[in-house]
Amino acid sequence: MHAQPLSRRQMLGRSAVGFGSLALASLLADAGLAETGQAGVVDPLAPKPVHVPARAKRVIFLFMKGGPSHVDTFDPKPLLDRDDGKPCPIEKPRVQFAPTGNLLKSPWKFKQHGESGLWVSELFPHVANCADDLCLLHSVHGTNPAHGGALLKLHTGSDNFVRPSIGSWVSYGLGTENANLPGFVTICPTLAHGGINNWGAAFLPAAYQGTPLGNASVPSDQATVRYIENSRLPQPLQRLQLDLLAQANREHQSQSGPEASLEARINSFELAFRMQTEMPTIEDLSQETEATNRLYGLDDPTTANFGRMCLLARRFSERGVRFVQVTHSDGNVQWDQHSDLKQGHDKNALEVDKPIAGLLKDLKARGLLKDTLVWWGGEFGRTPVAQGKNGRDHNPEGFTMWLAGGGVQGGMRYGETDDYGYYAAVNKVHIHDLHATILHLMGLDHERLTYRYAGRDFRLTDVEGNVVDKIMA
Amino acid sequence: MRGLRSLLAILLALLAPALAWAEQPVEQTAEQLRFFETKVRPVLAEHCLACHGPKKQWSNFRVDSRASLLAGGDFGEAVVPGNPAESRLIEAVRQSGDELSMPPEGKLTDRQIADLETWIRQGAHFPAEATAKSPFRDPGHWAFQPAGDPPLPEVNNGAWVVSPLDRFLLARLEAEGLAPAPPADKRTLLRRATFDLTGLPPTPAEVADFLSDERPNAFALVVDRLLESPAYGERWGRHWLDVARYADSNGLDENIAHGNAWRYRDYVVAAFNRDKPFRQFVQEQLAGDLLPYDGDAQRGEQLIATGFLSIGPKVLAEVDETKMEMDIIDEQLDTVGRAFLGLTLGCARCHDHKFDPIDAADYYALAGVFKSTQTMDSFTKIAKWHENPLPDAAATARLETHQKLVAVKKEQIQKLVEQASAAVKEKAKEGEKSPEKLEPLYPPETTAQLKTAREELVALEKAAPEIPSAMGVTERAIVDLPIHVRGSHLKLGDVATRRVPVVFTSLEAPQFSTSHSGRLELARWITDEKHPLTYRVFVNRVWRWHFGKGLVRTTDNFGMLGEAPTHPELLDWLAARFVESGASLKSLHRLIMLSSTYRQSSLPAGEAAQHDPENRLWGRFEVRRLEAEAVRDALLAVGGTLDREQGGSLLQVKNREFFFDHTSKDKTEYTSNRRSIYLPIVRNNVYDVFGLLDYPDAAVSTSDRPTTTIAPQALLMLNSELVARASGSLAERVLAAAADDAERIGQLYALAYSREPTADELGAGQRFLRQAEQLLTTTEPDMAERSGLAWQAYCQSILAANEFIYVR
Repeated sequence: MHAQPLSRRQMLGRSAVGFGSLALASLLADAGLAETGQAGVVDPLAPKPVHVPARAKRVIFLFMKGGPSHVDTFDPKPLLDRDDGKPCPIEKPRVQFAPTGNLLKSPWKFKQHGESGLWVSELFPHVANCADDLCLLHSVHGTNPAHGGALLKLHTGSDNFVRPSIGSWVSYGLGTENANLPGFVTICPTLAHGGINNWGAAFLPAAYQGTPLGNASVPSDQATVRYIENSRLPQPLQRLQLDLLAQANREHQSQSGPEASLEARINSFELAFRMQTEMPTIEDLSQETEATNRLYGLDDPTTANFGRMCLLARRFSERGVRFVQVTHSDGNVQWDQHSDLKQGHDKNALEVDKPIAGLLKDLKARGLLKDTLVWWGGEFGRTPVAQGKNGRDHNPEGFTMWLAGGGVQGGMRYGETDDYGYYAAVNKVHIHDLHATILHLMGLDHERLTYRYAGRDFRLTDVEGNVVDKIMA
Repeated sequence: MRGLRSLLAILLALLAPALAWAEQPVEQTAEQLRFFETKVRPVLAEHCLACHGPKKQWSNFRVDSRASLLAGGDFGEAVVPGNPAESRLIEAVRQSGDELSMPPEGKLTDRQIADLETWIRQGAHFPAEATAKSPFRDPGHWAFQPAGDPPLPEVNNGAWVVSPLDRFLLARLEAEGLAPAPPADKRTLLRRATFDLTGLPPTPAEVADFLSDERPNAFALVVDRLLESPAYGERWGRHWLDVARYADSNGLDENIAHGNAWRYRDYVVAAFNRDKPFRQFVQEQLAGDLLPYDGDAQRGEQLIATGFLSIGPKVLAEVDETKMEMDIIDEQLDTVGRAFLGLTLGCARCHDHKFDPIDAADYYALAGVFKSTQTMDSFTKIAKWHENPLPDAAATARLETHQKLVAVKKEQIQKLVEQASAAVKEKAKEGEKSPEKLEPLYPPETTAQLKTAREELVALEKAAPEIPSAMGVTERAIVDLPIHVRGSHLKLGDVATRRVPVVFTSLEAPQFSTSHSGRLELARWITDEKHPLTYRVFVNRVWRWHFGKGLVRTTDNFGMLGEAPTHPELLDWLAARFVESGASLKSLHRLIMLSSTYRQSSLPAGEAAQHDPENRLWGRFEVRRLEAEAVRDALLAVGGTLDREQGGSLLQVKNREFFFDHTSKDKTEYTSNRRSIYLPIVRNNVYDVFGLLDYPDAAVSTSDRPTTTIAPQALLMLNSELVARASGSLAERVLAAAADDAERIGQLYALAYSREPTADELGAGQRFLRQAEQLLTTTEPDMAERSGLAWQAYCQSILAANEFIYVR
């Protein structure tokens, strides 16, 4: 990628995590003062115009790593109950992750909830209270039968190439609303199964990559951004360093000839200094009320870890971060119940149910839910047939994800799987379609959001993707 | 019949550019013309053209010319003139079958369908002027034409010309009424050349030597010294490792260790240090296993070189094994295309290349070469890549000795068992059936003996000496691949016999035999001295690595979406000199670096910067930030802690073991003080210092690293352990060097910037130290500690400054 050459005048764009160039004074000015009205804005994270009217301003993706079972959570299948133990009457997929056996009914009961009467199983009693805000997509399909491929497909649209993450595309397309923060933050992401590629910018400029807070092996109260703190030097001394640095850099610049990045780098230190101040204030939850803490389950050791992530997600969203991902994953592949479905899903759902409901309620109470798109799900669903005695295998052929807030209809079911929940059957939503839809909700046309690299215009949706219009509020 | 048809299809594909015959005016009456324009063209335009026209070619099919209608697309011939019943176009619009049904939404009226049938029955006339010539897929594109050896241009200011290449640049500057920048001063030039060739700053002694050397060839001697330094291969080999998408782990879905990739890395470093002819270097990487050799050392080296084909990222847990294999072949083919030819061959996997004259048949014809090459030993998840055992007499001898020891131990156990069993049997009364299991009946001392012996055997077998091996390839069953329609292995088309792309008409095409994969033939063809791409692409990269930008700015894409060269004659002239020198890179360095062009200052003369802001005329030297490795190496070097040991592996994880499994525990470590090139490159989790400083995606071949400027880089300079360590050791070094602060500051500038401080800088430094100590009085009671910390903070600012991080 080559930055286009820009004149000094053109370079006077407002800086964010990536830089143009501007005077120190305006760097310190309020975000509102920054629109310079100059012809070319070089700041990669400056807010950009949308392609279509935006229904959502930000996304919170609650990623359940391992693949929660749709037929045990949001997609009840009476025939599966009836035919428990019988051979699967539908042909199994051509490629399967592991050998599987006969039909296995869900060990959990489903009930209808809310005015909409959405079916939710007893695994998610708190989320069920928010049924009228949920838009259940029952016919998602098209990831990959293995975790690695499926994570990459879900996050980047490609399971065999390194491509930018959806969060990077969103920051690239929209910029950030807060110049002191990155546009894409990912909380406790997994380092396995694609790892950083799941939040990487690939060929997009580095300013668009996800900024990780910790990783899946770090408890959320210890998760923080790399190099955000300096334990050796007191802040006044760092200020002294920065002043010396600025002076030296200006002298150097006057002797070095035209090179835009020299000035950009001077500014980057000032922004870093401010990020260093702002980040800890977001990570500091001490100002939250007791009621809020309880809402997210911070008072209970079972829910505290994931609850804190959800609360952090709200705090980042509130301050203008465009795309926040929260990953539910522990030392194992968390939702990957090849065996002992009952124990595994019971434990996992217990950890996330209350925090997720807390997040939805909190966003709603603060008036944020209407323009915050909450997206829930795993990299695939699970088979309606048993693996071993009491487990389920990976199933990318049809599964449920849900959206809430941000311009989608609440209390809605969209699409269907077949009678047993094996394949997406009606109104199928391919991962590319889901990506196109999320971009659309954010005001981006997935066919126009392109980036030229190595001689080709790339898109998140490659050459696919149809926006699912019917779910729009 | 089918064979004949596929032969015909290949012939047609070969003749594609000559398909103009299909466009020949077919006699048509005025009535037919009117019928076409009123009844047919509007229907095609309204219902088909959006997806099958100049903008999009779904199924490789377009409806805007007679030729393309006759040729059809992935689903076969679309129009058979005179025969609507056999025309798939009609089948599609009738929507009778379920395979082919067009248009996707709605259906044409019966009237419209009937009109199309009439039109086909009458011969499918299609006035030729309707065809728009695409600006792409042009076999006449400059990069596919043979490179010439252009004459040197005339210039006015002959005195400026030191190297003939200066003429090419000066002629253009003069034509624009511009002058080149004045020469850089000696300190700047030495710093530039030293970072350029070794990735390290010059030492104060080297600066002093060069400043005092008044000989006219002083700079040439510096270049020679730098080229002879082992650090040269570590620097320039690293450039090639970007092209080779080198990594010590697989990345992608299953991030397991490439435990032997380092051998390839060391091979590359050695090849650059020994100035291995580029031709040989390329051939070894593509077909080292097939080249003749003289002795074990050469054999081993050539086997290691083929690691180039194997170190790419692979989806090792892909459940669909056929897909995995084709993905791996695609990765190899795409990398070979980019790395050696500057072409995006991978684009032709699913359809004909949209922009370059490379079609899917070209792609699968080349893919057959790699399908006939063994890269993997197993495709079952987690799949295993192939490793070639390396000829190593000593290791083989060790293994043989070990095998003997194992045999002896086994024999000992065998004997024990036999003897004891015999004794047990003897004890058993005659006539009685001897018990089935004899061992439980052994005397206790024999049982104990046996247990020890067996444990010893297990331990011995575990300690088997390993025969060193290297990631790489070998030959396997030779096959030609069918075209995969839309890139899918589930939809196979005609077989594409192995061959090189048709567009390269200026070269003799190699013959691929049925007994070899064809890698050697391909490698020889790529390195053919007359190849229009290979040498241009490489000299352009060398220019890019010296100057920050290529003569062709898109260094990895010489195709039709790439940029044209700023100086096409210079590009060809350089390629000609390079080939003439026997493809010696060190000669090319001298040619470039001893020019006036290279020695220009970064401060442009007069109006040059306003007139040429992008520096496309090369009227100044570009100011550039150091690459990630050079930043780290320079930090450690000025602090005096850089460990210059060469080669070997620093991996903490065994071959094929996980860097990251589902636990997300980080098993990587970057505490070593070795040069950056030796630090493990773990895909998906590159060392964060590298990642922040624009280390490229190690999954894709690149020769043009970007440079971004982002706040997290500043956080790295302010708060990271690495920079704290470097500034700490630099502070200690400077404090020990002199007793007086002014002298110490002088030493600091000499180490970090290769120059003396100005009076202002000296004053600012002393002020900083005073103020810093004052600020620290409350937190740090110890005076010496306080001073040390103040010095460290000062050194950190010096290292964080642009002057340290940028070369000009």
